[in-house]
Amino acid sequence: MASILFLVIAAIGLATALGTVLSRNLVRAGLYLVAFFFAIACLFVLLEAEFLAAIQVLVYIGAVAILLMFGIMLTRDTLGDDTTAIPVGWMIPGLFGGLCVFTVLAVGINNSIAPSGWTPWSGTTSRPSIIKQESDPEPAWVAERREAVNDMGRVIGVELMTRYVVAFELAGLLLTAALVGAIALAHRADSAPKPPRSVEQAAGSGPGADPPSEAGEPVASSLSP
Amino acid sequence: MNNDIPLNWFLYFAAASFAIGLVGVMLRRNAIAVLMAIEIILNAANVNLVAFWRYGTPAPGSGPLPGVILAILVITVAAAEVAVGIGLILLCYRRWRVADVDRYDTMSG
Amino acid sequence: MPPTAPPLDLRDFWRIAPAAILAFWGLVVVLTDVGLARRLGLETRRRVVGWLALAGVGLSLVSTVVMFWLDSLAAVDPERLQELLGASLGDYFARSGDVIFLGALASGVSVDVLNILYLVLLALVIQLSTSYRFTEDWGECLALLIWATVGMMFLSAAEELVTLFLSLEMMTICLYILTAFEKSRPRSMEAGLKYFIYGSVSSALFLYGLSLVYGLAGTTRFAAIERILTGAGTVDPGLVGNLAGTTALLLMLVGFGFKIAAVPFHQWAPDVYEGAPAPVAAWIVTGSKIASIVALMKVFLHAARPWSFPSSDMMGPGWLGIIAVVSAVSMTYGNLAALVQTNFKRLLAYSSIAHAGYILVGLAAAIVSVNGSAAAGALLYYLVIYAFSNLGAFAVAAWLARDRNADEIDDLNGMGSERPLLALCLAFLMLSLIGVPPFGGFFGKLYVFMEALNQGPSQTRIILVWLVALGLLNSAVSAFYYVRVLKAMYFRPRSGAGLKRAESAVATPILLSTLVVVGFGLFPQPLVDLMKSVAGPMLISSSIEAAVSAPPAVSTASSDVSR
Repeated sequence: MASILFLVIAAIGLATALGTVLSRNLVRAGLYLVAFFFAIACLFVLLEAEFLAAIQVLVYIGAVAILLMFGIMLTRDTLGDDTTAIPVGWMIPGLFGGLCVFTVLAVGINNSIAPSGWTPWSGTTSRPSIIKQESDPEPAWVAERREAVNDMGRVIGVELMTRYVVAFELAGLLLTAALVGAIALAHRADSAPKPPRSVEQAAGSGPGADPPSEAGEPVASSLSP
Repeated sequence: MNNDIPLNWFLYFAAASFAIGLVGVMLRRNAIAVLMAIEIILNAANVNLVAFWRYGTPAPGSGPLPGVILAILVITVAAAEVAVGIGLILLCYRRWRVADVDRYDTMSG
Repeated sequence: MPPTAPPLDLRDFWRIAPAAILAFWGLVVVLTDVGLARRLGLETRRRVVGWLALAGVGLSLVSTVVMFWLDSLAAVDPERLQELLGASLGDYFARSGDVIFLGALASGVSVDVLNILYLVLLALVIQLSTSYRFTEDWGECLALLIWATVGMMFLSAAEELVTLFLSLEMMTICLYILTAFEKSRPRSMEAGLKYFIYGSVSSALFLYGLSLVYGLAGTTRFAAIERILTGAGTVDPGLVGNLAGTTALLLMLVGFGFKIAAVPFHQWAPDVYEGAPAPVAAWIVTGSKIASIVALMKVFLHAARPWSFPSSDMMGPGWLGIIAVVSAVSMTYGNLAALVQTNFKRLLAYSSIAHAGYILVGLAAAIVSVNGSAAAGALLYYLVIYAFSNLGAFAVAAWLARDRNADEIDDLNGMGSERPLLALCLAFLMLSLIGVPPFGGFFGKLYVFMEALNQGPSQTRIILVWLVALGLLNSAVSAFYYVRVLKAMYFRPRSGAGLKRAESAVATPILLSTLVVVGFGLFPQPLVDLMKSVAGPMLISSSIEAAVSAPPAVSTASSDVSR
């Protein structure tokens, strides 16, 4: 039962990934990507990481995909030529290359060497059980994992605040930096003639207000080639 | 459970997604399409991480969920990266009116 | 019932004080800039924000020096620590050199020395970026420079794959944004986008490789990965028959190779160095490279050491061969391509691609040499000299950009007669990059190549001789294009308007870099010894790690020895 569910979800995932990569229409590619993200979220549920699935949907579909859609809409090609498709001549070699990469990876996965004493990936046909056995004593990590799987939100919270606190704070700082940087990039330069660069000739004028021009660049002379 | 999903299936799926994403990165010329292909690769890596977490026996000292934590942080990083990427693409679009990675080639040599 | 929290020692937060101060100060800089934007003119605001940023860097430097002093005191005189800090903190700092945050970060003298290096370089870069006007968003620019440094500091201290990835992304994303900051020049925006696309692809590939490594080892900590990959016994398996491991390592090499601009992941470097504003390019080529190489050393020499080559056969499958090939190709391609460049910054870009090749020779040396930590120390010495040489060179490029609005080599014509002191400094830096004695670059290459050949008693077959020979040949070839800069400065008359007087914002980085390069060329031993002491602890598991028990037994409940 679980296997059939997995096969269906995996098929949907791969099909939508192909759709994203091969589709001519960017908006359609974006929608395929949303479906791909959702398939990944379903896989996370199959792997008993439901909290992660929720985060995947909220962040990837709710933020990243929306942002990509906005980007697509704001960068519609106005010069008329179609740059959004894969050049036809490259399609077959590209797909063939992809197939080669997949083959190499699949062979590697199949013949992977596990550290001594552990079962290799190809031999791992079922996940370690975390069901509480009354009879045999269990290793400590099983109890820990059972707690993690059953109460994932809290355990993630605890881990992020203790063991991975540095990574967590770095992620916060990263988001701040991305925010500050993106705003600085989007901040429109004023259309005054290019200011002199050296310190001595500085005119000392502050950034002038500029009536926003329609998706346009300021006067062309202010740009250097 | 003896009718569980073998670990390898998850890994093959991730490898296939990775290959598809890689093809997309190499072949697509539109910057946003390349960004979408990058997201596919990042998701493939995430599936890998969570599958390895669930199916593996942990070494002591890494905590109960290193794979899941790393996956969450990867999602965060991907969001920040996309934000920065869209900002850069829009910046270039304002100048050149296209979002084509091949067009941006004023420099040579 | 609430989950049991792992016992985090809250005193660990003292150890990340330098990075925390920097991170907070970045916010202060941004907010100050926003607050002052309406009141002050552009030039005054730039100066005020610049000084504010430098003040923050100074604060962080003070805290790092204090940390360094405490750590060196811990090795020598632990009781004094008790007197100074009280019982609890004194006891904590006496245990310097452990991993902190339950294994996420390293601590100790090595981390402190590297932090001091980054902060000094950052101060020079910030000063350089106030020298000319390439943007109006000063607060954001300096804040992003500062935050990139926070990423670098955590990157060199990372002991775990999670922290490694996060700090790598932190550093690079700040640099993507900074590259595109000069919005008046289309090349800058194009360079930013190109850097972003190449960088994101390589970091996605890196992450996939990282996930495979995690799968193969079952843990994310370097020390534990090394132990698990070695397996039973002390024989390194190399990458024999391990296709998954090879693929994983190759993918991680894609990520690292992109960061250090090694061939074939170098495509972004010439365009980005040329397009980015000179101070940002200086930071990309110095700080980001050092941090990436330190991380590369940790991953390849520490975590993936068992995969370097099989113990039975040094020439067997392992990453040593791959690194050797990448190194050889980078050196050769970088040098040959630099020979035809006319743009100064592009020349420096290709030269730094070639230097990535020499640096990888150092990496190979650290794994084959009899004294691995000495070789790693030599590599770090090389990196310091390389960083300062390039910083000075990019400061000159900033100067050119400010006054001539262009950065061709011809713009340097006649500088020798007009500005003799700074021209002499640039000449020294170029000579150091070639590797001419008595400058630091010569000793860097000498030590690295010597360690590469230091492979044991005279009967053992010495491998990698061809790599060292290729390195020497390439150094000779590189002289041709560095000398071209000297020729332009000294033997050509001035063309067009001359360079104005360099203000201190430009002159200080140039002078200081030259001082470092010449000083550590005349007296290399102190820095070499310091770097050897830094490199040693990085590559071995700390004592706490060794106490952690072997991979979990499946039978009766063995208590989980977590730190």
